[in-house]
This record gives sequence, structure tokens and C-alpha cells, in this order.
Amino acid sequence: MNVQYRPIVPSIKRFKIFVIKIVFIVLGRAFQSASQHDEEIKKEISSWRDGFTLIMKVMPDGPYMGLEKKNNMLEFKGSQLKQADLEIYFRNVESAFMIMTPQMGSHQAFAERRMSIKGDLGIATAFTRALVIVMSLLYPEFIVKRLVKRVPPLTLKRAGLRVWLYTFGIVLAR
Amino acid sequence: MLPSYYEFHNPVKIISGNKALDNLPSELEILGAKRPMVVTDKGVAGAGLVKIFIDSFGSSGMTIGAIFDDVPPDSSSEVVEKITSIFRQNKCDSIVALGGGSVIDTAKGVNILVTENSDDLLKFSGAEVLKKKMKPLVVIPTTSGTGSEVTVVAVISDVKRNLKMPFASTYLLPDIALLDPRMTLTLPPKMTAATAMDAMCHAVESYINLQKNPMSDAYAVAAIEMIRKNVLKAVSDGNNAQVRLAMANASTMAGIAFSNSMVGVVHALGHAAGGICHIPHGVAMNIFLPFGLEYNLPKCRENIGKLLLPLAGAEVYARTPESRRAEQTINHIVELRKALNDLCGLPINLKQAGVTEDKLSEIAQAAINDPSIVMNPREMDANDALAILKKAFE
Repeated sequence: MNVQYRPIVPSIKRFKIFVIKIVFIVLGRAFQSASQHDEEIKKEISSWRDGFTLIMKVMPDGPYMGLEKKNNMLEFKGSQLKQADLEIYFRNVESAFMIMTPQMGSHQAFAERRMSIKGDLGIATAFTRALVIVMSLLYPEFIVKRLVKRVPPLTLKRAGLRVWLYTFGIVLAR
Repeated sequence: MLPSYYEFHNPVKIISGNKALDNLPSELEILGAKRPMVVTDKGVAGAGLVKIFIDSFGSSGMTIGAIFDDVPPDSSSEVVEKITSIFRQNKCDSIVALGGGSVIDTAKGVNILVTENSDDLLKFSGAEVLKKKMKPLVVIPTTSGTGSEVTVVAVISDVKRNLKMPFASTYLLPDIALLDPRMTLTLPPKMTAATAMDAMCHAVESYINLQKNPMSDAYAVAAIEMIRKNVLKAVSDGNNAQVRLAMANASTMAGIAFSNSMVGVVHALGHAAGGICHIPHGVAMNIFLPFGLEYNLPKCRENIGKLLLPLAGAEVYARTPESRRAEQTINHIVELRKALNDLCGLPINLKQAGVTEDKLSEIAQAAINDPSIVMNPREMDANDALAILKKAFE
């Protein structure tokens, strides 16, 4: 009997990719807003040159989002950037979904090599710290505790920034 | 506890033992290499090791393409470019690094440029930037500490731009690490002690940090036990070939461990102190290790406690209550440092190493931007770093 061998095209994980895209938009806009108001984030990015770009990308061919340092803030570039000075990869859709939803913190994701970096490691370290601050603004403390090694202090200013992010900051990216 | 997920990678062939060097020509042939370029330094050449190296090629029919013996103590892009040009002029096809950390990192830098056919090393700086399989690289360590013969990293200074360029890629892994006791016999006592404590830090930090896994743990524990049994003998009786070979093996095992699970605050502080005050890396490791462990105690007491077994032996481990093992581990490291200090004067605080107090804030700031802290169990900020530095000062 002749067996027919045909190429197999696996299905696309539409739901998970959709969720990742949404989180990328929220995260990118939150970064743009928080980088204009939070002193710690401003300090972290202060040494980056103007025009410095970074992308977060799901490997090998998944969604991605970009940020660019402009006028001492991080500007959300959506999917405009194809390459960047610093590239942060999620190894696959499942890992990205786990990190974005947020079931796993970036430190554990790096430790388990679910995330990897291409570019300047010093800047990547500073970005990771800024990411922790943004996460702590986006999520309540009981979730953040599971995601980070040390929860950034929720000062009065940060509490105000959290309210701002939830009301206008993410929508307006200001 | 088994991590929910981990990766472990070590394709480097380890060749270890008496007269292991004599196998080099046939190993190069297996790698398809016919004309190796040797990268080494004046100290290695002056100690007569290059002569032993050349002798090992006798009757092999192989030609050594060129020998560059002027690598400075800190690898620099200028030297890498110079060696690259000699490599091309002499039509070499492979690289042999004969030396310590600086020589090995320089050789890795040369391999990047000759493989990528480029003259701009900065273009390839960072993590996972390299995309091509490299030329054959054999590493023969002449110190027992860096572990660079089995790691995915290299650090090279860009003198013109005044920056340190880190490179991290699996392509940087050498093909062969060749451990021959003759290569470390002439290492002076103080340097033997400093490099041994570097290896100790690799093993200890790899065992307690976030990326630890059962494979790296196995290498780390074996390395610590081997260092404990041999380090004092290696410092006091440097001519003992068996002891030297054991230390070389310990260093390589520690290198495999940390290449797969990274290091932590001890290295972050050491890199920063080295960059700002030019303290030799091994000396910095010796100074910071107990303070780094003390700092991490609240997050990984159990793992630090487990290290008492390889560090002190079964009897001490068995008679120490579980609740006291972590403190005992730190005490044993403090005692080891004291013994090394008595034997060869290895500094045990920053003041002894020539650091002035006004530099501490600058070191603290540099340490928190060092990539080594990412896998440390406890998040270290600048205030924490400064507190550790003050404790380590005198």
C-alpha cells in the first residue's frame, strides 16, 4: 500500500498570541507613561543614548513590540521596529504567555532560559529593573511578590502613578 | 529541589593528565586544523611553558603558524586586532590559547574577528550576537581559576572607547580544554591562592543562585571538595603535580558549573572593584565571598548550609545541626581565607588590597549594573552593595 506523506502545517495558537499582543500594547504604553513620571525608571534610562531602541519579541516568528528612548523617556513604537540595539526574546509562545499573563517573573524566566538577550548586558540589567517597577505598578502586591525578588516600595507618588496608569496613563501613554 | 525547567550545555572535550599536552597535535588534526596560532603572554613564555608546548609538536609534522607572546594582563581590543592580523598574514587555521583568563579571552576575541572576517570587535559585543561556528580553539590554562576554558563568555577592554566589552555566546566555547599539570607548576603561591578562590567563588555562587540545576550542582560540589582538599597544598607545595592537576580539574568543573548557572553578587562586586580600583579578580573574590554569602543567607540558607559537606567534610557536616550549617559554611570560608593569608599574604579586606574608602560608592553603583547580579537570589540595590563594601573594607 502506498502511504502518502504530506507536509504538516501546525495550527496557530491564536488565543495566546492575541493575549500576548494585548499585553505588549498595555506594557509598552505603561512603559511610555511611567518613564515620564517615575524617578527610578528615569534614573535607569538616563545613561542610555537618545534614540536607543529595544524590542521584546516572541521567537521564532511571533509578535513583538518596540521602545525607543526619546527626550529622556521611553516611547512605545508598537511593531514599527524590526531590529533594535537591545533585543529581548521569549523563546516560544508558551513561555511568552506564561510571563505576560503573569504567571512567571522575568528573573525566573531568564534563569529558565525562557527569555534571552541580544545586546548590551548592562543596559539589559537596567531595563530588567525598570520592568520590575512597571510590573509593580500594573499588578497588585500579592501577584508582584511572586514575580520579583524584591517588591519596589509603593510610595505615595507611586500609588498616585498607579491610579494615573489605570485611568489615563495607559490609554494616553502620557 | 529540581527546577521546573533548566538547560545545561557543555560540549568542550576535556583532556586531563600527565603529559596531556603531547596529545595536542593529534587532537588538532581531528579538528581539521593544520596550522595553529598560539596566543600566550610573557609570563608563560618566561616560565618556559612555551618551550614545553613547542616540544609537544615534535615529530608531529605540524607547523605552528605563529606564536604571539605579548598579551597584557587585561585583554584589549588593540591586542586582539594585532593578533588577528598576524593570524591572517601567517595563514593560520586554528587558535591555541596558552595562559590565564586574559590570554583565553584574547584568543576568543581573535576567533570572533577571524571567523567573522571583521576588524571591529565592538560590533559583536553583547549576548548571543555571534551567529557562525568558530575556528577550532584549544585552551591550555596556566592558572587554575578562571574556568574560561569551558565558558561561553569573554571580556575584552576597548581602550580607545574606555569600556569593557562582554561577549556571551555558545559559539565562544572552546573545542578542547587541555589540563596538563606542567602548565601550572610555576604559578607563584599568591596567584595560586587567588585563582583558587576565584574557582571557589564560581562553584559556590553557581550552587546558590537562581539558575542552579542538578547538573551544575554536581560540578560545583565536586569542584568545592577538590579545592578544599588541595588548595593549601597547592599554595605551600607548588611542585606537587598531582595537587596542581587536581586544582586544574576543580577550576574546570567550577567553570562548567557557572557557565550553566551564572554567578552572583560576589562577582558583581568583584567586577566593579576590579574595574575601578584594578584589584586582581581572584583577590576580589577572596575578599567578597563570605560577605556575599552572608548577604544571601535570608534567601538561600538551606543551599548555603548544604555546601558545608564539600567544604568541611562529612564529619563536620554530620555533627553540625542543620540550623547552624549555613553559618558554619561561611565560617569555613573565613578560616580558609585566613589560612591563605598566613601562607602567602592573600588580602582579606579591601584596605589590604589597596582600595581607598572614597571609592566605595562608585564601586557600589557599578556593581548594581553588572549583569552578574541578575541570577543572584537576593535583589541587591546600591545601598545593599555599599553596606557589603563597608563590611569588606577592613
